[in-house]
Amino acid sequence: MNSFWEFLSGIRWQDFVDILLNSYIIFRLYVLLRGTTILYMLMGVALLWFFQRIAVSLGLIVTSWLSQGLTAVAALIVVIIFGGEIRAAFRGKGLKAVFWGFPKHNPPSSVEVIADAVFDMAQKHTGSLIVFPGKKSLKGVVQNGIIWNGEVSKEMIISIFWHNNPVHDGAAILDGNQITEVGTILPLSQRMDLPKYYGTRHRAAIGLSESSDALVVATSEERGVVIAAKEGEVKVMHKRSDLANRLREHLGISVNRPHFWAKERLLLTAAGVLSVLLVTGVWFSLTRGWNSLLITMETPIEYTNRDSRLEILSTSANTVRLHLSGSYILLKSLRPDQVRVQLNLEPAKPGQNVFSITRNQVSVPPGIILSKVEPSTVEMEIDLSVTRTLPVQADWKGELARDLLITDVKLSPQTVKVVGSSRELEKISTIYTQKIPLEDVDKSGTRSVPLALGRQISVATDTPRQVTVSYKVEPRK
Amino acid sequence: MQRIMKRMTFLLLCFLLSLILSPTWGQEVAQEVTKEKLTLYHSVMCEDVQDRKPFNPTVVFPISRGKAYCYTLFEPVPVKTYIYHNWYRRDVLSFTIRLQVQPPSWATYSNIQLRESDRGPWRVEITDAEGNTFQTLRFSVTE
Repeated sequence: MNSFWEFLSGIRWQDFVDILLNSYIIFRLYVLLRGTTILYMLMGVALLWFFQRIAVSLGLIVTSWLSQGLTAVAALIVVIIFGGEIRAAFRGKGLKAVFWGFPKHNPPSSVEVIADAVFDMAQKHTGSLIVFPGKKSLKGVVQNGIIWNGEVSKEMIISIFWHNNPVHDGAAILDGNQITEVGTILPLSQRMDLPKYYGTRHRAAIGLSESSDALVVATSEERGVVIAAKEGEVKVMHKRSDLANRLREHLGISVNRPHFWAKERLLLTAAGVLSVLLVTGVWFSLTRGWNSLLITMETPIEYTNRDSRLEILSTSANTVRLHLSGSYILLKSLRPDQVRVQLNLEPAKPGQNVFSITRNQVSVPPGIILSKVEPSTVEMEIDLSVTRTLPVQADWKGELARDLLITDVKLSPQTVKVVGSSRELEKISTIYTQKIPLEDVDKSGTRSVPLALGRQISVATDTPRQVTVSYKVEPRK
Repeated sequence: MQRIMKRMTFLLLCFLLSLILSPTWGQEVAQEVTKEKLTLYHSVMCEDVQDRKPFNPTVVFPISRGKAYCYTLFEPVPVKTYIYHNWYRRDVLSFTIRLQVQPPSWATYSNIQLRESDRGPWRVEITDAEGNTFQTLRFSVTE
């Protein structure tokens, strides 16, 4: 029970925002891509990714590697192949439509008008082939259509299939109240079990219904029969009302309009809830996955807001051990630079200081929980930083040839400006050079020698770090 | 009578002139005496002092040489006084020697016996009784 409350208390307001934001993005994608093939493809990619995560968690090396590759390739394929469809989904839509609005479906056409036209043609033995697209696009399935874009009317439908009309042999595509294309060639069904009296029109109707979710209505010239084909299944329509009902069912048109909108609302609500559940699941699996870990990380302490006049002489700790917990995935991908411990030295004063390291001073990536900091306090000795000018002295070492003497040494510059804590600089009155070996000295000369500075002393910015040592060598008397 | 008067006038003028000039002259002499101050004329680190003169001046002393000398010559020395040779090894005062100097000039020196532990940079600060530094001499003790 305690762990449950701990689990809940670890959730921040940012996490809620994170979940809601991503849920909304997925919901909007669903709304915008609803009825397109791309949505199904994206769902497939998501399933592949989910499969890959399971394979990783089960330790299936090759499977996870393969599924990872497949996911990447599938995502690429979706973008390349369905680029046109993606563009079509967003084309002509303003920012409001993309982020907020709901695409309006075409108002339902008068199915009775269509049913009347079809049965009139059947009565007169006029062959016809009418396609009512479903949610999937027909691009790539139908061919050679002539753009028509005429409003649906009984006369218009009959005139398209009038035997002297050049486009009467092809299929007409009806989308809402519009006849969008005519003279379209549909794929023929290859089924062998169809009745022998089914002509080309019937085979075309069944063929398209097999390869799409469209409803295809055909009338036969010979027998004057009306058929409706969907998902490869053919039904004979005996009455106008049968066809009208079939059309309504396919187009999702309810006789009762409020009922239709209620259904729409229910569908969108369900999609929204599903989006939230999906993102929540993904979020929890990423951040609080079942493979939860506890790690310890040694992190250096960074000092902020330090008064430039103050010098840190000593600290009880330069690093702290952070006890971090979180999901395996997050902790595995955690980089040391993502974890920072920053100590605010604004209240620091010369002398001994004690600073507490609180959770506010430790920053960890979202989803990772800080359990403990060791040590929780840092003792620090701080002093005022001062600048002093001190003389420089050459520091010789080694053995000079016995017959020689160094009779004079001159340094340039003779003094250097150094910066350090006042306590440290009080102790010294000379800055020495680094050791100069005497073994090399056999005559007068000059050399450049670096300064030997203490750990807490540095030269001022305008002071060179080296001095020139000129020495005079004479023979011993 | 006229000659006597002339002589008297001359003597009076001389007397008055001596009265006017004598105190001023006296003051200048006193000021010159008081202006003269103890001055370090020459100072050097050397391996020995022979006949009150530095021998083999140097700034590097191998331990094998045994001793290091700090030679100082003061000129002028207005009054008998003391000066100090403060020997430091790496900023730490090792020892101080008080040396007497006498007018009109005085040469004096101090020395240290070199040991293994003395290796490193040294300096000798030459100061007066009030601690005012005349000169700092720097040298190294090496192998």
